[in-house]
Amino acid sequence: MQNYFKTAKNRVLVLFFALLTLNVSAQEIDLLIKGGHVIDAKNKINTKMDVAVKDGKIFRVAADIPASSAKKTVNANGLYVTPGLIDIHGHVFHGTEPDNYLSNSQDALPPDGFTFRAGVTTVADAGGAGWKNIDLFRKNVVDKSKTRVLAFMNIVGGGMRGVDTYEQDKADMDPKLTAASAKKNKDFVIGIKIAHYIGHDWDPTDFAVAAGKIAGIPVMVDFGKALPPLPLEDLLLKHLRPGDILTHAYRYDQEFDKSGKMIEHKQAIVDVNTKKLKPYVWDARKRGIIFDVGHGGGSFSWGQAIPAMEQGFHPDVLSSDLHTGSMNAGFKDMANLASKFLVLGMPLADVIAASTWNPAKVIQRPELGHLSVGSEADIAVFRLREGDFGYIDASGMSIRGKQKLEAELTIRNGRVVWDLNALSSPSVK
Amino acid sequence: MGFERLEFSISQINMNGNCFIQTGRTLVIGICLFISTQYVAAQEIDLLLKGGHVIDPKNKISAKMDIAIHKGIIQKIASNISEKGAKKVVDVSGMLVSPGLIDIHTHVFTGPNAGFGHGSSSVKPDDFTFRAGITTVVDAGTSGYKTFPLFKEQIIDRSRTRVLAYLNVFAPGMVGTAAEQEDMQALKIEEADQTIKKYSDNIVGVKIGHYSGKDWKPFDAAAALAHANGRPLFVECHITEFSLEDQLNHMKSGDIITHAYENVSERMPVVDENGMVRPFVLDARKKGILFDVGHGGVGFWFNQAVPSVQQGLEPDTFGTDMHHNSVNAGMKDMLNLMSKYLNMGMQTEDVIRRATWGAANVIKRPDLGNLSEGSVADIAVIQVLQGNFGFLDAAGFKLKGDKKFQAELTIRAGKIVWDLNGMAGVPWSKDLK
Repeated sequence: MQNYFKTAKNRVLVLFFALLTLNVSAQEIDLLIKGGHVIDAKNKINTKMDVAVKDGKIFRVAADIPASSAKKTVNANGLYVTPGLIDIHGHVFHGTEPDNYLSNSQDALPPDGFTFRAGVTTVADAGGAGWKNIDLFRKNVVDKSKTRVLAFMNIVGGGMRGVDTYEQDKADMDPKLTAASAKKNKDFVIGIKIAHYIGHDWDPTDFAVAAGKIAGIPVMVDFGKALPPLPLEDLLLKHLRPGDILTHAYRYDQEFDKSGKMIEHKQAIVDVNTKKLKPYVWDARKRGIIFDVGHGGGSFSWGQAIPAMEQGFHPDVLSSDLHTGSMNAGFKDMANLASKFLVLGMPLADVIAASTWNPAKVIQRPELGHLSVGSEADIAVFRLREGDFGYIDASGMSIRGKQKLEAELTIRNGRVVWDLNALSSPSVK
Repeated sequence: MGFERLEFSISQINMNGNCFIQTGRTLVIGICLFISTQYVAAQEIDLLLKGGHVIDPKNKISAKMDIAIHKGIIQKIASNISEKGAKKVVDVSGMLVSPGLIDIHTHVFTGPNAGFGHGSSSVKPDDFTFRAGITTVVDAGTSGYKTFPLFKEQIIDRSRTRVLAYLNVFAPGMVGTAAEQEDMQALKIEEADQTIKKYSDNIVGVKIGHYSGKDWKPFDAAAALAHANGRPLFVECHITEFSLEDQLNHMKSGDIITHAYENVSERMPVVDENGMVRPFVLDARKKGILFDVGHGGVGFWFNQAVPSVQQGLEPDTFGTDMHHNSVNAGMKDMLNLMSKYLNMGMQTEDVIRRATWGAANVIKRPDLGNLSEGSVADIAVIQVLQGNFGFLDAAGFKLKGDKKFQAELTIRAGKIVWDLNGMAGVPWSKDLK
């Protein structure tokens, strides 16, 4: 500043502005993630790349972006850089309504505490709300979370309020009202959910599909516990449309009926006696049915997943079924779930695709799940740990594995929202 | 005890075999009793943790020991317990086995409001405790006497974590507007006193915090209320008009000041401009004032914590101040906070002590934070990871470290509530469905 007075005014001003301009162009990038291995399924990138973020958007993805052009640089050498994960089956309609299962209740969870630490930036609630309480869901969850929250709307007007009672009430399943509400809330409603129906008839499934048709969105089915069971084959080949989703794909449910015969509530995709995938499941995949994990507390069995994976039947989408019953059990978080499939032999690039670009397509949100220039900067940085790890399924069976994915850094809309080891911070002096 | 078990076993055998009818009664009863004794002996331990390095500061144990758990309590702790009588054995060799951690500063009164009290800034305890080895939390005055019953009904009674509380001296706790939260009319000491007595199992102290008035009445009333009930005063932040020195002078031995290592404008930091812990702060420690970390979002600064550890102002407790922001920021969880101190040079046993038996004493709950035989089986099995780690403070600075605690297995009242790597799982094999 003293120079300003010592010399000619104009010259100094020019110099000053020149410096200022240089300074701006030199640091036009807000955040540079440097040296990581980028996996971006949409853009077919699976190699070492730098990712630059500016104004909350992906600014550039290229082989060597100079650190001098960035205000902040994160060294991601040895780490994997992916789009923020998309979890299409969470239960995040948290609230305090007593005895209300997963609708405005304590069994559902506030998303932010479970998403970012696992690299997730988008979560879809799987049917907590129906058309009667979707507005409350928006107000209490969508608007108040840093995580991007989307929703499958329950075909039951009152939402997922109780398996044995409300969710069996066909009188509260109105395809037209549900579709109308879905359309009205299309900024965050991305599908219709039908779950837990135990009657021996197809009406609720067909209602959900009808609503999905009107609103132009997919249906997710948590196939109920009808006794005698409804044929899974009919669901997949006759009732659902291509693009509709079977969740809890690797669930194994069994119970002895009164005569002592073993009954599979929800017919499994793998025949437990022959360990072979049932032929119609392959047909369903060809038809375009989406197979989603939906791990949850009770919906993932090694006895299903391992033979299916060995026979090459990989999930289309990895998802959590996050709620109080799964958060501390075998599921834990999306990074843990992704690790399970790595350990079962699914290539890392496929695991990431099944958690990013695949789900984005399934929920018809092509603007999500990739790192294209100009898209919103939702990014996850993972470390692939090597060691001796263990993974449990829903029944407490464990397998060992040598790999584990850990979320180091999560960026939502250009901002660091999780930084496990303070990668984006300077060291103390 | 033995008699009950015997009866149970006989009825089991009678259900399974018709020996009474087939042969002479006396002989059969004799055989049944013999078998049942064997049966009982074979089922005595529900869960046996084998081969871990046990740190139990109360009992001055830091050694390789086995722990047997039965009916939710610690049945036996010894150097080599036979696997014979155990229903389940978990090999925890190479791990630390500690009493379940006690987090004395949390905000867990969740609900639909904005903010902390019955609000979305609080977090539900079970979501963040077990994964960090915590089995007991203390809520830091998020409820007052008017809101405590709701807090108890919705959170304390519905959580698997043991939830204790400091009662806010102001009636609404942290529910409502700032003005409502420190309304002098809401200073109902008698009602608060009745609440403490009514819920004496849950309420372990009285909190003053978030008070911007100049009148010492609430502060002193909170202290008097706490002391009259044999409990500590818990002094939180945002008490803008009183100097740190005056606050410490109004406290007594056994009272707790939290956010001890914060460096914000509204309260004088404990370390001065020259990097020295202020003498009056060290005097307060000598007097018996307790210093809690209360990390939270802005409550922990390396430029306070590091000199404090070096100059004898280590924290007495590792309160996390867990809330919706801190769980994703520099704090993350209690083990991450404890790992910071491990990497600042504090010994492992010392860190564990302050997180367990030390914390139990601070809240005057000597039934907790130890592994004495007969006590409730709240246990944390912790792995000390070796590697390159980074730890963040509120100023955005990183401390590099080579050690980090990780919760492998958490047991609450004898039940496994967290099992990171499936240590207690049944190994899967292809023959299983």
